[in-house]
Amino acid sequence: MAKSDDCVHILQGLLVFGNVVIGMCGIALTAECIYFVSNPDGLYPLLQATENSDIYAAAWIGIFVGLALFALSILGIIAVIKASRTLLMVYIILMLITFAFEMASCITAATHRDSLTPEVFLKQMLERYQKSEPANSSDSEITKTWDELMLQNHCCGVLGPSDWQEYTSAFRLTHNDADYPWPRTCCALDAQGLPINLDGCKLGVPGYYNSNGCYDAISGPVNTHAWGVAWFGFAILCWTFCVLIGTMFYWSGIEY
Amino acid sequence: LSLPTPPAQLPYVPQVSPMALLGKVTATTFALEGPRCVFDGHADASDAVWLAVAFANASAAFRNPPSRADVPPYKQLPTAHSYMTLETAAAAFSCSAPSPPVLRVGSDTACRDQGRPDPCNGPLPSPGPYRVKFLLMGCGGPKAETRWSEPILLRTAVSPSTIDPAPARRGSAVVVIASILASLGAVLATAVLGALGAEVWGSLCRRGLGTDAFIRRSYRTHHIPPALPQPLRPGC
Repeated sequence: MAKSDDCVHILQGLLVFGNVVIGMCGIALTAECIYFVSNPDGLYPLLQATENSDIYAAAWIGIFVGLALFALSILGIIAVIKASRTLLMVYIILMLITFAFEMASCITAATHRDSLTPEVFLKQMLERYQKSEPANSSDSEITKTWDELMLQNHCCGVLGPSDWQEYTSAFRLTHNDADYPWPRTCCALDAQGLPINLDGCKLGVPGYYNSNGCYDAISGPVNTHAWGVAWFGFAILCWTFCVLIGTMFYWSGIEY
Repeated sequence: LSLPTPPAQLPYVPQVSPMALLGKVTATTFALEGPRCVFDGHADASDAVWLAVAFANASAAFRNPPSRADVPPYKQLPTAHSYMTLETAAAAFSCSAPSPPVLRVGSDTACRDQGRPDPCNGPLPSPGPYRVKFLLMGCGGPKAETRWSEPILLRTAVSPSTIDPAPARRGSAVVVIASILASLGAVLATAVLGALGAEVWGSLCRRGLGTDAFIRRSYRTHHIPPALPQPLRPGC
């Protein structure tokens, strides 16, 4: 019997440890998702305009799942120590529901990250940047976001300034090609915000215009966001799976 | 009235600037290499170098204007299929002067919109292709000309509706995450349902106290070891 008691205590200890880890990971997941939802890189208008802002939905789900995991881990610790069948069954069922939600969040984040290709942003930029009659407020938001993106990251277009040459665009309708082969924000600007050398910028002389595309500046934060939600959530769920299997084994061994 | 001497034929071929410039050919402009040192020996101080631009299929029909007053203007390009522009003093292209490295054809939108007098370096109205040559004009008419360039085709932009935003292939990470999580979830759901089912089955069938229970509540019991059965003596 002593040996069985030791096994019981070891199992209880493992389950308590597992729940502590789940609780801490839940807090971490909540914190991470709050950070992403707060839009630190200013890219939310672009993603919202692609009608594909499900990465934000996944982050919102992550916030609540993280809090739920923390609360359930405390319940789990109490239930394991008291060896109460009812509490443990409640814990298991609530954990299953949380598991399902977090699974949805991970898969959503991963799937919609894949759908954010450079072509999506290219099409959106060409059709809506500097649109002369903004159909809704999101068009002016897109123009503002692109201007800030190009100014801060010293980049131009999605793949490069030749985006503006290869395709017609809403910008091209109001700005002729000879004066504006690409927008003025693509030029290297001085402290007052004026191009250093306007003719050099129009000709494409290296040094007077931004030759990089902005896709790296967009995909970097979006990748961090999506993989942070998807892979971290996946790791938490794998650990939760092990803890739940152990809990069910523990539950089945408690006498009535 | 003596016939004017035909202009000297220079072997220089104008070309688009070989420098690495992203905007050297756009939809309405192009940038040429400056004809440095080409006219030395033929040009006086008062001469001007003009650029003749013609559609590639109309370059053979181009006739040099006999004087400055007959220079075809920019607005006649659609009808005459050629025009002359970029009047520059010949001294700007001599070997000793620092010559502009590129000449941008089509950079002046103001003269097109406001109808200023020629020469007008207005943007080109169609992608072309165009051929150009330099013409050295003196007071008495053309004095020297270069050869026609190769046809220069300007860029044509396509509509963004041709862009297909669908991803090329499904990422492998999604497949990994989805399949592993789905299988874990299925195992968990099965285990919970199985455990619940077993409990319901057990309470329905009224089995005895769980003799296989090994986890006791957290209260101490005084444990009385069961008496061992006496070994049966073999019959006498």
